[in-house]
Amino acid sequence: MKRDGDIIVGIDLGTTNSLVAFADAAGPRLIAGGGGEDDVIVPSFVRFEADGRTIVGKGARDHAVEYPLETVYSIKRLMGRGTAELAEEARRLPYRVEKLSEAEERDVAAIVAGGRMWTPPQVSALILAELKRRAEAHFGCEVTKAVITVPAHFDDAQRQATRDAGEIAGLEVVRIVNEPTAAALAYGLDRSASATIAVYDFGGGTFDISLLRVEGGVFEVLAVDGDTHLGGDDLDRTLIDLFSREIREQSGQDIDSPVIRQQLRSLAEAVKVRLSEEDRTSVEIAVGGSFTYRRQVTKAELEALIAPFVDRTLEACRRALKAARRSASEVAEVVLVGGSTRIPLVRRAVGELFGRRPYTALNPEHVVALGAAVQASILAGRRQDLLLLDVTPLSLGIETLGGAVGKLIGANTRVPCKAVETFTTFQDGQTAVKINVLQGERELAADCRSLGRFELRGIPPMPAGIPKVEVTFLIDANGILNVSAREVRSGVEASIQIVPSHGLTREEVRRMQHEAIEHAREDMSAHHLIDVRATVEFDLNKAERMIREYGVLLAPADRASLSEAAAALRALARESSDARLINEHREAFNRRLTPLAEKALTAALKA
Amino acid sequence: MSQCVECGAVLSVPICCDHCGAIFDPQPGTDHFSLLGFPRAYALDEERLAQNFRRLTAKVHPDRHSQRSEEVQARATRLTADLNRAYAVLSDGVRRADYLLELTGGPTAAEERGVPGDLLAEVMEVREALEQARGVGDRRTIERLRQANESKRRQTLDEIAALASGVETASVRQRRRLRLLLNALRYFENLTTELV
Repeated sequence: MKRDGDIIVGIDLGTTNSLVAFADAAGPRLIAGGGGEDDVIVPSFVRFEADGRTIVGKGARDHAVEYPLETVYSIKRLMGRGTAELAEEARRLPYRVEKLSEAEERDVAAIVAGGRMWTPPQVSALILAELKRRAEAHFGCEVTKAVITVPAHFDDAQRQATRDAGEIAGLEVVRIVNEPTAAALAYGLDRSASATIAVYDFGGGTFDISLLRVEGGVFEVLAVDGDTHLGGDDLDRTLIDLFSREIREQSGQDIDSPVIRQQLRSLAEAVKVRLSEEDRTSVEIAVGGSFTYRRQVTKAELEALIAPFVDRTLEACRRALKAARRSASEVAEVVLVGGSTRIPLVRRAVGELFGRRPYTALNPEHVVALGAAVQASILAGRRQDLLLLDVTPLSLGIETLGGAVGKLIGANTRVPCKAVETFTTFQDGQTAVKINVLQGERELAADCRSLGRFELRGIPPMPAGIPKVEVTFLIDANGILNVSAREVRSGVEASIQIVPSHGLTREEVRRMQHEAIEHAREDMSAHHLIDVRATVEFDLNKAERMIREYGVLLAPADRASLSEAAAALRALARESSDARLINEHREAFNRRLTPLAEKALTAALKA
Repeated sequence: MSQCVECGAVLSVPICCDHCGAIFDPQPGTDHFSLLGFPRAYALDEERLAQNFRRLTAKVHPDRHSQRSEEVQARATRLTADLNRAYAVLSDGVRRADYLLELTGGPTAAEERGVPGDLLAEVMEVREALEQARGVGDRRTIERLRQANESKRRQTLDEIAALASGVETASVRQRRRLRLLLNALRYFENLTTELV
């Protein structure tokens, strides 16, 4: 396939849905799949088949109930995280979550599907590969670069995991952009007046609030706040919990099977969506045995269940306003993003907090991908009139003596930003120093998230306390940390070995990238096998009809051997999985059929 | 004023060329003021500071150089980080005063950790009064304490601004006084969060 280095697509890699878009001179547009112009959403679902094949998107989502153990969704909630912190979450998921076995010193969560372990970046890479394919089909050339969005509140490990996913899928991630910032870009594209705007982004798995100042094409983020574990999934769970409790009470059965769990999940989501339009709805689910659970759910009931979650989002909004030193009334527009903002209670609550009706003219599920495409066009050098200035969502620090946190960079600092810290040795001749780098707002290291342990090596041997190792912590425009170090007295560049706490090493990412290419090839041959088998079936049906109708024109021995050859080909197509071999035999069989085909044609013409 | 090594134009700021768009690492020792095109002085036009910051950011930001070599991209990231830091310090009156004091010879916060004479005793008194008022639910006293603390904080800010404005020619005693006042702010701010 030809390659076009200028194409940078924008990707919204969502918890429940993913989209890809591209911006040209006419503006940003979503790229559709084979299902027509409206086929722009790829559900973030992957099904792992027993034969190693993977099915991504709608095909996986629509059959999630039939394949609860094989269907993986909400993988974004596992990105860059460890099993210890996911214990509660994992219990509710139908698929298995385990600690990645080869990561000894680290706690990297992985899932088990199709008889093997998959890390979250690998699963996300399958979704990204599907979006990449769509873009390539659209442009008719290879697409290798992308801007991918993440929740503004994603920490370093979660951002790294997203970049790793891109790399595994064969995409150079030219920029990680915060979702609300991307949405603001799509919103403010055609607006020149200067204003403070809020982006309230309540998605499937995460919540973000961002306050921005927009002026003359410069989009300046003032403050962000949010929760990477608060989204539509959590709202669904309140309903799932209610239904399961009642089913247990009424039927006296323990109904906690993966199938029921997946059924309840789909049901809860449907109820939530229906109650955004209607005041009441009924649910019905056959639980097994002779018991069928039936119930009415009213809008008021749903609102009472989800109100605590909505309150948490409002708290975050207040914190963000405080950090940005703005009052709610100074906000000129509140842009709603994410599927959960379709819920009437959410719209009402946001409207009350900001004292204005939220802006809903943009499709909340499309706007992030469109904004990502605009940022991609800026990075491709096609738009010089726009500029995004973002902030880091979390404070960065290092563990000091006694387990306290020495803060280096505060939350809501503009990125790129850097801090320089000097370290020394505690023992004579010591040549290495370990640093535990942390992210979070708490005062104790144990309460913050460890990004990883950085080991400075190659310090020239000197008496204790004499070396001065200057370490530069730089957070780049992606919100990702880069660390470099230098021993000041000797000028020696110290090397840094990084052991990520919840992430993959460079070698692992490279290996997974190769595996993905291999997997895609196998997948392609699997698809190919299905095609070849179908062709064999078609050819055989045609041949057998011909033998039945015109077989009398052949010598009995020739007729018998042709029938045998047909049976042999059918058996081969069923038993072999070598597409090329089957195809060769199919062609050979068709050559043997030619004399009969000619006789049949002559006979048909005579008749 | 130095010249651009790429095109020879005279540079108005040390990190980028208005004429050809090239970007440069600043000379060692370039301070926040000169980075943003300002003389080293406490008094500054905040509106113009914001304008300069935005104008320079638009030139050096990595998004503007994403098609250039990796070396230039890394430089763009470094420079934008420097600009962000300089702007964060200079756009905040207290941080600006603190920075200027350090720049002109200190004392730094590490060298002088003290606070003005009777501050600690005053803070203790306020805390005692607050505890008493809380005990009996006396909202009016708490509000009075809050207002008093706020007015002290403002007085301190005013004195910091006055001292910082003349810091280049200030006596050793005045410089020490400025440091003590900067150290004192933390106490007023802590009280502000307690007095609600």
